[in-house]
Amino acid sequence: MEHILSIIVFFPLVAVFFGFVISKESIKTFGITVAVVEFLLSIVLWIGFDTSNAGFQFVEYFPLISQFGVSYYLGVDGISLFLVILSTFMTLISLIGLNIKKDIKNLVITILFLEMTLVGVFLSLDMILFYIFWELSLIPMLYIIGAWGSGQRVYAAIKFFLYTFAGSALMLVGILYLGYQYFLATGTWSFSVPDWHLLVLPFNMQLWLFGAFFLAFAVKVPMFPFHTWLPYAHGQAPTIGSVLLAAVMLKMGTYAFIRFSLPLFPDASYYFLYPVATIAIIMVIYAAMVAYAQEDMKQVIAYSSISHMGIIIIGTFAMNAEGLTGAIFLMLSHGIVSGALFMLVGVIYDRRHTKMINEFGGLATVMPRYAAIFGVMMMAAVGLPLTIGFVGEFLSLLGFYRVSWLMTLFAGTGIILGAVYMLVLFKKAFFGKVTKDENAELKDLDKREFTALIPLVALVVILGVYPKPILSTIDMSVKKMINLMEKKALLPSTKEFLIRVNHTGGKK
Amino acid sequence: MITLTHYLVLSGILFSLGIVGVLRRKNLLMLFFSTEILLNAVNVGFAAVSKYYGDLSGQIFSFFIIAIAASEVAVGLGLLVLWYKRSGTIDLDSLQMMKG
Amino acid sequence: MEKYLFVALFAPIVGSLFSLLFTARKKNVITALVTSGLLLFSFVSSLTLLFAVHDGLVLHVKLMDWISAGSLNLPFGFIVDNVSVIMMVTVTLVSSVVNIYSMGYMAHDKGYNRFFTYISAFVFSMLILVMSDNFVGLFIGWEGVGLCSYLLIGFWYEKESASWAGNEAFIMNRVADLGMLMGLFLIYWQFGTFSYEEVFAHVGSVNVGVVTTIGLLLFIGAMGKSAQFPFHTWLADAMEGPTPVSALIHAATMVTAGVYLVIRASDLFMLVPEVGHIIATLGTFVAVFAASMALVNRDLKRIIAYSTLSQLGYMFVAAGLGAYWIALFHLMTHAFFKSLLFLGAGNIMHAMDDELDIKKMGGLFGAMPYTAILMAVASVALCGVYPFAGFFSKDAILAAAFNGGNFYIWFALFIGAGMTAFYSFRLIMLVFFGDKVYKKLGFHPHETYPFVLWALLPLGILSTVAGFFEKPFEEFVTKVLDKYEFSMAHSTELGLIFLTSGFVILVIVATIYKYAKGGFSKQLETMPLFLLLKNQYYIPKLYEVAIFKPYYALSRFAWKQIDVRIIDFSVDMIAKILYRSGQQSRKMQSGNLSDMLRWMVVGIVILLAIAIFYRPMV
Repeated sequence: MEHILSIIVFFPLVAVFFGFVISKESIKTFGITVAVVEFLLSIVLWIGFDTSNAGFQFVEYFPLISQFGVSYYLGVDGISLFLVILSTFMTLISLIGLNIKKDIKNLVITILFLEMTLVGVFLSLDMILFYIFWELSLIPMLYIIGAWGSGQRVYAAIKFFLYTFAGSALMLVGILYLGYQYFLATGTWSFSVPDWHLLVLPFNMQLWLFGAFFLAFAVKVPMFPFHTWLPYAHGQAPTIGSVLLAAVMLKMGTYAFIRFSLPLFPDASYYFLYPVATIAIIMVIYAAMVAYAQEDMKQVIAYSSISHMGIIIIGTFAMNAEGLTGAIFLMLSHGIVSGALFMLVGVIYDRRHTKMINEFGGLATVMPRYAAIFGVMMMAAVGLPLTIGFVGEFLSLLGFYRVSWLMTLFAGTGIILGAVYMLVLFKKAFFGKVTKDENAELKDLDKREFTALIPLVALVVILGVYPKPILSTIDMSVKKMINLMEKKALLPSTKEFLIRVNHTGGKK
Repeated sequence: MITLTHYLVLSGILFSLGIVGVLRRKNLLMLFFSTEILLNAVNVGFAAVSKYYGDLSGQIFSFFIIAIAASEVAVGLGLLVLWYKRSGTIDLDSLQMMKG
Repeated sequence: MEKYLFVALFAPIVGSLFSLLFTARKKNVITALVTSGLLLFSFVSSLTLLFAVHDGLVLHVKLMDWISAGSLNLPFGFIVDNVSVIMMVTVTLVSSVVNIYSMGYMAHDKGYNRFFTYISAFVFSMLILVMSDNFVGLFIGWEGVGLCSYLLIGFWYEKESASWAGNEAFIMNRVADLGMLMGLFLIYWQFGTFSYEEVFAHVGSVNVGVVTTIGLLLFIGAMGKSAQFPFHTWLADAMEGPTPVSALIHAATMVTAGVYLVIRASDLFMLVPEVGHIIATLGTFVAVFAASMALVNRDLKRIIAYSTLSQLGYMFVAAGLGAYWIALFHLMTHAFFKSLLFLGAGNIMHAMDDELDIKKMGGLFGAMPYTAILMAVASVALCGVYPFAGFFSKDAILAAAFNGGNFYIWFALFIGAGMTAFYSFRLIMLVFFGDKVYKKLGFHPHETYPFVLWALLPLGILSTVAGFFEKPFEEFVTKVLDKYEFSMAHSTELGLIFLTSGFVILVIVATIYKYAKGGFSKQLETMPLFLLLKNQYYIPKLYEVAIFKPYYALSRFAWKQIDVRIIDFSVDMIAKILYRSGQQSRKMQSGNLSDMLRWMVVGIVILLAIAIFYRPMV
């Protein structure tokens, strides 16, 4: 267990090199095997994870450029553990569901490379390392959209790349500046996050740095009004690209908010709480409305992702254990549910080569199993209790209620508007009579699609009924983080706020 | 009495003449002349200021510049001759190969 | 006793999962038999628990932890006490009857197996709703029944109107659920827990304003589920579902969940009589409002649906006025006679090939006498004629209104009772007596399967006799609920009873007489009031024009104008500006040496200028 994190990060990379010499016919099997091993490794990590230790575990550290404090520093805690497992799991599932014949070798290799970068982002504790993985993850996704996409794929790919890349540029400046500040404060350079957590920054500096990081994270999430790359990317990306993009890559932004913005700049986070929450509410409502107006199934789900990410932001900025734990759990659940929904759209796209809603109708008669699984995922997406979607959404909103009931009310309209666009989509595509002849003969799910989807359905139900093992692990690390924030907070108002939102009871 | 100012004014006039030459002339040979004037304008300035402060390094710098100018002209004229042999002209506008 | 609790709770879901295995296959009677058997099993367990609770038992079971985060710790907890056990028995009884009934009703439907899956899943959700020991547990059931209702309303999904009605029901309930969720959040942050026990123990020590807010928010949730104004439109549209579903979900059980919530949280509502007053007023309004729409409707099922709405209004009046046990009592008796009424309507629809217009029926008594008798019994019970069940529960509500000094409420309910009598007997007369219109239209009605009629018999009996259990019932549930003291004189009470009963019977007789004579003239149908009622006060139209369409237009606007034209356009604009400026500045690189020299000079001049004019250090 000593180097398990390095193994988890670099195993896919090693596999990539072997991938080049594997023949085209067996590359998918190879890819799945690697993904299975990687997934099992992450499960081993979970088993070995000490659930009573809230700090970083399995830490690996050696200096890379010691005079500037750049190091190879990995570690995992309750916050990142499940995001790692989500990454490896969704990669596995999307590889199982993979149905592309063109240049499959390159595709599998790209996916495995992407997996490495995703895991790397969640495990890095050194900011330079984090930044490297963060930017590196763009390249495989650029390639996936640009090479295997449909329609305006090159435009979409470049837009995706440049937008997110430009957003991150300011973050790099912020990282270097923070490293310099650490140098000024202690006399040594360091880019390691636990070191930075000890750094108390003056309020004004916090504001500027928060802003610099915010742009990078906001584009990634994506927050309104930086979201327009997402519908393009999803619209053109192949199924596997959309699945990984929605399920894992979007979570990098929200993860980074929790990992960096909140504990590094507690006062600034509080200072910007209401503006950020307002943006999040706009995201929730606006994206839900736009989703309702869409004519393309995939776009509906793409915009619904934005809407759900809004709730995650709301939960994050509740800054209490309920909200933060809920936000992290919602990341997992949204990863599973949106991934599944994108795969389901991929299923119908494979058959009909169109995603337009009005091309369908009456699919429930033709493809009952498909309709049933779609229905389950839809219910999870609208947050029905005892599905995975409810837990996170409930906790996020619950947490934020302590901050502001009015804003929670607005954010809560997401559960209504979410039901509107999902049910209308479902009705248009699945209910009614079969009006188009092309739809009358569609085949129901085949074995490959079943293998990919059934685990997701099972997770939706199991984690909906019994989320506790995951919640309690997350909760532990979140509480530790909140303690840190409270300790670091400079302004009394921030401290007061943190204490207030973390305790129940009426106004005293 | 000829003061430092006179020298600097002379240097300035020479420099301006050189600039105008560089900008206006299309003949490569004339361009070389103009560059020489530019360099020598600077030389005059260096020498004058060096004398004024009583610091020899300015004059030494002038020598450097003269040496560099000489080698530059040598190489430049060589290239020019080569170019004339190839294209039959020493008009500046014939040199467009760097167009981006 | 715990095993009875588990059997009662989990038997339905087992049945549901079992028949789920068959959903993709052809009709298989085994699904119906297994689910019916398990529902009966659940009913028997509930009955056993009823007796045990009567002997003083209160079961409180905690299964596993569900959600825990921060200071929240939420287990799956179930409680069987005097209130929940009544609901359990009612729910499992009606659902067993409906399930058996459906074996006949759905016999030729291609979604046969799927139907029983949904029904059992519904019963499971409903049991979670009534048995949970905390608000979030109730919310699970609350949403679960909402889902099943959505699935069952849209059961015949090929029909556009059915799937539309399903969506309407789900979404409208979601709107109200948001209110309820807000209430739950407030409860958590006030009390730090969701459990009924702890919340009610501390509710007295909390600021009254907060309790009022909680009460109002919870009631918003209740309004949605119980289809109170302004959320009432979904219930009438929900009649698109199969009739057994209407009987079970949209009459007997799910729609009463709102009333149950108010009763369950009576400890909280008791502290804020203002909220109770709002509830009662709204209930009164709905009782009359819905009954008025039932007066003119020609759709068999919609009439009964409006009647359900109206009766829910009555229940809310009782609950709002603090007469919780009366509300619960009316809830129970209503479940019996209203589901009977619906199931009878189902028999008629079956006989009439799904025809719903009561003007096309008439004189069906000869063809289906047993159904006619059962429906007549249910109607009399609904009107509140002695000695049928409705008499006891409804009169108690009227008495409670009078007793509290709320004379306008009493008077409105009094009028409502008359309206109820009118529309019930209008329906009976138009369907079962008079000219045999159906013969001209070519229908061949026939009585349904005998086993279906036998299944209805328990409901018929209960509709008749349940009223006599009033005293034991009161004694039973007031062990948990607050007692309601009548302060008025016994003679006043008797006078009221005679007044109401006399009025109701008078209306019934008048109705029978009028329709036996051939009914009202056609001229009436052009009156503005008639049109207003017929169009349901134009409220569905209003929602369509004021909410659905603007929302869609706004969504299109948000997408086409804001998202594409403004946001994405500005993003692309930035990229284009960068690109264009690159294109423009490319011209500098003409390759001409003298151009380059010129640019060089420009550069030198600029640098010199900067060197001269910008002196940050000085």
